[in-house]
Amino acid sequence: MHGSIQKKSRNFEGLSNKFIISLSIIALISFLLAFFYIPIVRIFQTALSSDSGTGFKVFWETLSDPFNLKFLGFTLLQAFLSTILCLLIGLPVGYFFAKYEFKGKKLIINLLTIPFVLPPVIVLIGFTVTYGQGGWVNLLWQNITNSSNVLITIDGTVQGIILAHVFYNLSVIIRLTIPAWQNIDNEQIEVSSTLGVGKGKTFQKIVFPQIKNAIISSSLLVFIYTFNSFAIVMKLGNFNFYTLEVLIYESFDLLKFSEGASLAVIQLVINSLVIILYLVVERKSRKMAEGKEKGLKTERLTFKGKDWKSIVSLSLSIVFVFIVIIFSFAPIIAIIVKSFIPKSPGDSPFWGYSQIFTQQKITPLNTNTIRLFGNTLLFATVAAVISLILSVLIVFVLRNRYQSIKKYQRSISESLVSYLIILPMATSSITLGLGLYLNYSGLNSYYNSVWIFIIMSHVLISIPFVTRSILVAYNRIDVELLNVASSLGASRVMIFRKIEFPLIKRGIIVGGIFSFAISLGEFGATFLLARANYETLSIGIYNLLGSQTLQISTAMASVLILITALCFYLINKFGDIELKV
Amino acid sequence: MVKVKINNLSMKYEKKLIIEDFELEIVDGELLVLLGASGCGKTSLLKIIAGIIEPEGGTIIFDEKDITNYTPQKRKVGYVPQAQVLFPHMKVEQNISFGLEAHKLSKEEIKERITWIAEITQIQDLLDRFPSEISGGQKQRVALARALAIKPNLLLLDEPLSSIDASGRESLALTIRRIQKETGITTLYVTHNQEESRLISDRVALMYDGKIQQIGSVIEVDRTPRNYLIAKIMGSSNVWPVEYLETEDGSSLVSTPIGLITLPYEIKRKITGIRIPPSSFKIVHDLSEDDKMIEFIGRIKSIIEKDDENFRIVVDLKDAHLEYFKVDCNKEMLNIASAANKELQLHVLPSEVILI
Repeated sequence: MHGSIQKKSRNFEGLSNKFIISLSIIALISFLLAFFYIPIVRIFQTALSSDSGTGFKVFWETLSDPFNLKFLGFTLLQAFLSTILCLLIGLPVGYFFAKYEFKGKKLIINLLTIPFVLPPVIVLIGFTVTYGQGGWVNLLWQNITNSSNVLITIDGTVQGIILAHVFYNLSVIIRLTIPAWQNIDNEQIEVSSTLGVGKGKTFQKIVFPQIKNAIISSSLLVFIYTFNSFAIVMKLGNFNFYTLEVLIYESFDLLKFSEGASLAVIQLVINSLVIILYLVVERKSRKMAEGKEKGLKTERLTFKGKDWKSIVSLSLSIVFVFIVIIFSFAPIIAIIVKSFIPKSPGDSPFWGYSQIFTQQKITPLNTNTIRLFGNTLLFATVAAVISLILSVLIVFVLRNRYQSIKKYQRSISESLVSYLIILPMATSSITLGLGLYLNYSGLNSYYNSVWIFIIMSHVLISIPFVTRSILVAYNRIDVELLNVASSLGASRVMIFRKIEFPLIKRGIIVGGIFSFAISLGEFGATFLLARANYETLSIGIYNLLGSQTLQISTAMASVLILITALCFYLINKFGDIELKV
Repeated sequence: MVKVKINNLSMKYEKKLIIEDFELEIVDGELLVLLGASGCGKTSLLKIIAGIIEPEGGTIIFDEKDITNYTPQKRKVGYVPQAQVLFPHMKVEQNISFGLEAHKLSKEEIKERITWIAEITQIQDLLDRFPSEISGGQKQRVALARALAIKPNLLLLDEPLSSIDASGRESLALTIRRIQKETGITTLYVTHNQEESRLISDRVALMYDGKIQQIGSVIEVDRTPRNYLIAKIMGSSNVWPVEYLETEDGSSLVSTPIGLITLPYEIKRKITGIRIPPSSFKIVHDLSEDDKMIEFIGRIKSIIEKDDENFRIVVDLKDAHLEYFKVDCNKEMLNIASAANKELQLHVLPSEVILI
């Protein structure tokens, strides 16, 4: 009698958890279907259909078009070159930071990461001011050489594109390889030397195998970011060079939807392969880092007690790191300085700022700047809230403790969620935008509700990062804590409220701010989807890039930099930024 | 405070049965030590009893109630896992009150309970600290207090001394013993260390191959271990497995790692090992022959325990590689043994050899 009553109560407890998990799974799958999978299916459908019905005709034509093939090749090549260059610069810098201890080290590493979180338009405008035709570097060069020759041309050149990509992604290599260096147990190196193995061989056999996976996984990330580069190539490529991403946009702009969709399919396939490879390598490198306590022996950064050879090599390292720091900051500082330089002598240095905070519309913008600010902040806030909710649900489904109680395996629907969230990671922002456009532009209310789709694209782009932030925090919770809590009588809800939530709170804050920052600067999907009143600051700045004075756009950019830097400061205050997906 | 009965319990891990046909009874109010090697399924068993893992089959009964299908929340079991997992973001006091709030006690009752349990576990001074600010032994006492505060039916302790440094172990073991007796809560204490069972248990249960192999007081198990392996797990001195046994004409020939031993009687039952208590040896000065005695030759290696008169020494055996005896002797015998750093002869009466 008693037993049967209690049996019901166990079922109830099990049910309430099952109910929460099922509801989460339904919410996640509905979201992914509506804003990702159905639009993606629509892209495939569009790629494989033509006026004469369905078939591979347009697809093959697009794929075999020499122009497209050439730029598919270019997309791969520039991504490869950008990645190699990032590695050549980033690896030594990473090693330097892992090896030496000095005051302000963490601050410098954090500051070096800022370019990565900047919106791409900021990079563009910063590069224009620094390296452009009339940019500072060239002006300086012309003054020094007393000629009218320029040192560097970034408009319409490969070097411009690659330089911008290196600027943007260098910190990925630096940040992700530092822990790998630090994880190498110095005692292993000592043991190796007592076994009579030389330094070179020790590096090859002991050190390199342990940092290899971190190098590969960070390289794959840089590759995927540069492979899908949009704003930078669209502007700096200047109709000489295209990435697949730009080609897809151009096709869309010319209303050649089938062609654009075909290119999107090709891009999606390549991205998926790289992401899967990345996930495999990532798992390996995580396994290798597990259970390590001792790390690399660090040295204080000092010249004391060193022979002249070491002093020279150390000085060269410091100069090298210093140059990298300048390279990473010059464009940002240039923007801010430029925003205060009047168009003509005698004008107010604050003219740009006064312009952006007036109601009047600046040509060639489609709407006034106050509205741009409003849209940007509103989209970012809403996107951050939605991303957070969905990411918390994802974490709960992926880490459902009750799965381990029974049979030690996950239910099919829980595994499904873990696979369903991989493909969005492999989808570029233009493809996301294109899918949403193709699927929903037929609706009557589409043009008035386009803001929903802009926000949803931002959500999809930031979810991998937010989920990662929360998951990292959640994984630190000892499962036994939850076991103890339930045997102390705490209900599922109480365990969440009193144990899980307080322990992942920082991850949630970091994830939320990160999502906000990503949305703030998102360019591709917004550029494709936004119409007039729904444009954001990024789009506004981009539209102003070609105008006579850069004072207004640099002022807008400076405000955006300020907000981004503030977000980044807060992220570092509450935790650590997750560059990984 | 209940008596616990576990019937026919089984559990699979990765398709392999690690607990099978498991039977165990815990008497109301006793402290039962479950002794077994790492990986024998002890921790899984605790988790099953706590309701954290669902068993493949079998029943768990508290008094007369079948609680096999109860949630962990309903079982009211005090579960203290191996690592002292305190809620890191809560002060000690909040850690303890967590379970009391879950059981919806009033504020006054909670305060009362905390005062009561803090006194018993002697953590009054720690209540205002965070887990990161207290030592390993203190954490274990807090974990204990947190589990006991809800006045559980049963207390489950998983290797509570494993992360405590050697110097603090004995005192914490005795503290646990005292708290258990003061509260009278039925306790299942899991460990791989037989010393702990000697220190604190009412009864000890030996577990391997997914089952309880023998259960009883430490003295009973020591005196009559069911087989060689149990004697070994209990850490008895001078036990050896029996490789084979031949009996004929009123005598038995037992083959062991320390050589062939002839016993002047026929062994009729199956034996798994032999034991020679350290006190059964006689050190003989001159190499002499004595038919009635079993004879070993060895060399003294070290003295491991002594008081003024009595010593326990370790003797390396000459004819058996890496085998040694622990031998009790008095001062006089020790002088004989150690004076002449030479081979010495040990005699044992056949009747002193214990068959396991």
